[in-house]
Amino acid sequence: MAPPLVSAAVGALLAAALLGDAFDRRSVAVVVAAALLPGLDAAASLVVPGATNTLFHAVWAPLFAGGLLYWDTTHRAESALRARGGRRAVRVAWVALASLVVAGIGSALFAGEGAVLLYPFEEARYAVRGRLAYSTQEGIVQTFVALGADGPGLLPLESVDAATAEPVSSWINPDGRPGIDPGVDRRFDFVENGWQLVVVAAAAATLAVRFRGRGGDAATDGGGFR
Amino acid sequence: MPSTVVHAGFALLLAAGLLGAYYDRRALAVLLVVLVLPEADSFLGAIMPGAHRTVGHNFVLPAAAALGLYYDTRVRERSLLRDRLSDRLIAVAWVAVFVHVFAHVAVDWTHLDGVNAFWPLRDRFFHLGGEAFYSTADGFVQTFVDVRVDPETGTRTVDAGAGGTSESVHVSNPVQPRDPDLDVDEPVERRFPVANGGWRLYLIGLGLFALGARRLQGDDVGGDA
Repeated sequence: MAPPLVSAAVGALLAAALLGDAFDRRSVAVVVAAALLPGLDAAASLVVPGATNTLFHAVWAPLFAGGLLYWDTTHRAESALRARGGRRAVRVAWVALASLVVAGIGSALFAGEGAVLLYPFEEARYAVRGRLAYSTQEGIVQTFVALGADGPGLLPLESVDAATAEPVSSWINPDGRPGIDPGVDRRFDFVENGWQLVVVAAAAATLAVRFRGRGGDAATDGGGFR
Repeated sequence: MPSTVVHAGFALLLAAGLLGAYYDRRALAVLLVVLVLPEADSFLGAIMPGAHRTVGHNFVLPAAAALGLYYDTRVRERSLLRDRLSDRLIAVAWVAVFVHVFAHVAVDWTHLDGVNAFWPLRDRFFHLGGEAFYSTADGFVQTFVDVRVDPETGTRTVDAGAGGTSESVHVSNPVQPRDPDLDVDEPVERRFPVANGGWRLYLIGLGLFALGARRLQGDDVGGDA
């Protein structure tokens, strides 16, 4: 997984961008928690072999949740979610789901060790690696998507056939295999490189600007700067 | 350089979070101009050696702009800008400074030789690189700023990723694809990168996602147009 701090920062930026009127301390906390949720499958890996970046990184649960949310809010005569929390709850739910997919799973896919998107149907761990450029000599060069590549996965992305064979290490479970070893050296990453630090700093500054002089509960979308 | 597309992607995400009620196509267009403009220092490279990543990529000019904005709109009794410009333009100007610093200069700071952070006060390139983690063996470790204490003399040296000056550093770009001091074989290959590496594609994707999601939300909650 990408460092949890980076997932949280992307989640916070999405919250600031998408919550609109519903932006306040509580809703931001919900959206950031959703960004961190997929990373918790590292804890499950202590019991389930190869669960890190697998169990909560598959696309099925978010797809199902999104379908349910869509059905509840648009196709039912009386939406259960809207009846309980109003339009605000609907908005927070959608943004939290987006945060889970984009900041939680997306960060593992694009910036972390990859995600087993189609678990449990296959064990291939996908990662987006490559480059896209225009060169005056070679034209458009693109290596992110390789159709007909010989990787083990179905999707045309770089993949390794390794959810259980080569488990991802994490601070919760350093060797990625089931069982707890209390003596092992653990390492919790805050940021792995410069750009992640920039994203974290930008998220902190954005939240500071948005919450400034507002006490955190006046739910208006007046923007950051006045 | 990380391409302008990457800067624009990250900037869109930040702008969607900061513009609030002023979020609209015109404000985004202004921000895009602010993002592209600093890259014009690539062209200055022909007349001023080392201009790229120097003239348009430093923290001094945005700091000066922010100070000026703050002084005029908050401290002075009669604000020149508030008299002439709408509140909306002033808010957009604040967001532009924010986005320029975080989505442009700071992102370039992490790439290749970095940026000439304190130009024109001081001519020195800085590169932001390293990692920060907590490990049970070593405790908290960060390698972004290297502070060393000489055990014999007790003098402290701080290395925050300082590199050469605009004399010695040339950051390649599509306008000047090689260091001009080297002999260049013609024809020169010019590369216009869009996204080198997954994380740059991620930043682009984040911006496009924020843009698309805001469009979808359009009629969802009032006051958010």
